[in-house]
Amino acid sequence: MKRWWHRWIRTPGELRAMGVVGINMRNARFLLPNNPRKLYDLVDNKIRTKQLAIDHKMAVPETYAVVRNPHDTSVLEKLLKGRESFVIKPARGSGGKGVLVIVAREGGYFIKPSGSRLTLDELKHHCSNILAGLFSLGGRRDVGLIEYRVHPAKVLTEISFQGAPDIRVVMLKGYPVMAMLRAATRESDGRANLHQGAIGIGIDLATGRTVRAVHHGHPIERHPDLKVPVVGVQLPHWDAILDIAVTCHEMTRLGYLGVDIMIDEDLGPLMIEVNARPGLAIQLANGVGLMRRLEPALERSQSHPHDSHDQKIAFSREAFGVKLSAP
Amino acid sequence: MASRIKLLFVVIVLVLIGGGIAAYKNAVLGLPLRAGYLPPEWMIEAKLTFLADDEKVRAELSIPAAAVDEGLSPEAGSVGYNYYVEKDQGEYTAVWTSEKQSQNQALYYRINFLDRKKSGGEPIPHPGGGFPVPESPGFSGALEDGAKRVIQRAKAVSADPDSLFVGIFREVVAIQSSQEIGLLRARYEDEAGRGALTVLGIDLLNMAGVPARLAYGVKLEEARGGQQPTRLVEYYDGAYWKVRDPDDPGSTLDPSKIFVWHRGGGALFEVTGGESSKLSFTVTRDFIRPAEMANLRESPLVISTIFGLPASERDVFRYVVLIPLGAFVVVVMRNLVGIATLGTFMPVLLALALLEMKLESGLIMFTVIVTVGLWIRFLLSRLNMLVVPRVAACVVIVTLLMMVLSVVSYRLGMMDGLRITLFPMIILAWTIERMSLIWEEEGKRSAIMQVGGSVLVAVIAYSFMSVPQVKYWAFYFPELLLVLLACIILIGRYTGYRLSELVRFRDFKEV
Repeated sequence: MKRWWHRWIRTPGELRAMGVVGINMRNARFLLPNNPRKLYDLVDNKIRTKQLAIDHKMAVPETYAVVRNPHDTSVLEKLLKGRESFVIKPARGSGGKGVLVIVAREGGYFIKPSGSRLTLDELKHHCSNILAGLFSLGGRRDVGLIEYRVHPAKVLTEISFQGAPDIRVVMLKGYPVMAMLRAATRESDGRANLHQGAIGIGIDLATGRTVRAVHHGHPIERHPDLKVPVVGVQLPHWDAILDIAVTCHEMTRLGYLGVDIMIDEDLGPLMIEVNARPGLAIQLANGVGLMRRLEPALERSQSHPHDSHDQKIAFSREAFGVKLSAP
Repeated sequence: MASRIKLLFVVIVLVLIGGGIAAYKNAVLGLPLRAGYLPPEWMIEAKLTFLADDEKVRAELSIPAAAVDEGLSPEAGSVGYNYYVEKDQGEYTAVWTSEKQSQNQALYYRINFLDRKKSGGEPIPHPGGGFPVPESPGFSGALEDGAKRVIQRAKAVSADPDSLFVGIFREVVAIQSSQEIGLLRARYEDEAGRGALTVLGIDLLNMAGVPARLAYGVKLEEARGGQQPTRLVEYYDGAYWKVRDPDDPGSTLDPSKIFVWHRGGGALFEVTGGESSKLSFTVTRDFIRPAEMANLRESPLVISTIFGLPASERDVFRYVVLIPLGAFVVVVMRNLVGIATLGTFMPVLLALALLEMKLESGLIMFTVIVTVGLWIRFLLSRLNMLVVPRVAACVVIVTLLMMVLSVVSYRLGMMDGLRITLFPMIILAWTIERMSLIWEEEGKRSAIMQVGGSVLVAVIAYSFMSVPQVKYWAFYFPELLLVLLACIILIGRYTGYRLSELVRFRDFKEV
């Protein structure tokens, strides 16, 4: 029953009927009541988040060095000694801003995933930009983090153009409600932002299989550049991934959060960052309105206030898994 | 639910208070709710400020004869001063005296009038009869020779004092001046500073046998902040004293543009017992009749007492009360419509800047500065500079661009361009810096979308803020801001979809 206006807009009534959550509703009903302001710094500062994760025995990429002041910048070469590949990122960055990935060294040059070369001076300049707060929220002074570069599992590199895909799990009160995989395309230039042309792939919470993919809002079956199927892919270590996600809720106490996870070929799933303001594109990738998941999770948290870690995972898998329609 | 009721309660209380005061003003004080079209009602306020020396103070301010003779509802304001008007041969002086004052002092004298046919610079006979005697400026040596040659040249082509006035001042203010004038100018600029050319012209006229002296006028144009008195020249044409503008010697004064405040040659103002005295004028056009204004000023409502403030202070509120309106537009555009903007209140500042100049020229200036600035900023980014120096470099670039644009637009005859100096520079520099970052990080599409969104919101806010009815309500019924506050609180609790989300999720289909 497609009407002529559906080419341009959906009416609010239709969106509400499908359980789509808008920014205003996310903020007013889920973010503000569940995420007390004082907890934000735990997740806005990656160094703190990482330390917290290590305290909770969670796997995170190893930190090689922290660039805290201009002196550290000037001895960058020493800090990077013996490191072939690594990632430099701002501790307070958001939305992937300021993340610099180096995959190899060649003579005096550092190679990015796209193949372009950077000199040591350019790396130093990037570090001083981080220190000056160029990429941090509100432009406050920041520190840079040099850490292990994740070597993504082969299943994942096969469905992403250059960039390393990451998994985002959104949770309410510790119940995983939705998950997606973000894979880069030629158009998105190694980035994982959906509105820049990356593809969003919905994941079945029960099994960890990809169930649906969208590119620019339209459902697709195959990767636009690589032509490989992106639907029906089984992600490895799914149990461990859900376990990491729920542990992130326990360690931060944030009621509504998104956890970014990458799967390393050798080390398995690694927690990359926790996001206190996860976006809404995940509903497009899954083809499910977030309200469909958030409300049952809220009810469950009220009816069973003492659910354990494993009970939460079990509930989510049971309630939010994709039901295969009977043949 | 309880918080919902609290919210509704707050909203209703705000609306009742705001609306109630407005209704009271309308019903009891008779302040009309609808803005009438602008009545030609001018108000000029002279503000004399000085630092009193802890002793007897006597301040004198020359006031226009018309104010007293024609009764332009003159009013003088001051606390703790004895005040009277002294009349001396058709010239009036307001005098304030006080036994002991200290610290900053401000004295006010204001007049109201409708559009006048007369500027106040009309021919008047010499007071006390007889003829005035021109005062020789006492030139000597080379200066005297030069001055004589200038006068000879002007006299050769003039028939009467009027044409002599035109001849001399044309030569004095000309951009390409003769050698003699150049010599004289250099000497006067050393001594007299501002207004040196006017003094020079007056001296030359006197030397040529035409008595002349300084007069002062007030420009009838609304501008933010006070204006300095405009120097005019009064000269005796053989029968009458006349006033003309030395910058435009050929024409008589236009009563719709200027009001002659002081003539007669004496000092414009004088303060004894104080130092650093300064005089400035504030000119406003009021939307409502003075009688209604008086009601408002004497009403018991605290918020209305801003109308009892001196015009120079009150005038600031004309702009201040518009800022919440701009902020409201931003709230609506972001939370209900969902337009992405660069920073939250950049659009408000931009809209305020646009209010200062014409919309089109403002937008052209903004586009040119941001485009060129962005381009230069990209060139600079190759130098791998640190962040703070880079933003500072942006400020320098913006400043230079503004200067270039001002000069170019002046040469092209667009006077609006000159007002660009009021465009908030730091905002422009920061816009360029933020835009170039977004450009690099998220691509040019995001950058252009966000800046475009900011400009769009700014233009909408500007259009809203420049509706006469809206301005009128904001200024004369500031309590309606409480109603606006109630609306903002309601929007703050709006959890529905933004207009942009209806588009964003247009392809959303449940599976």
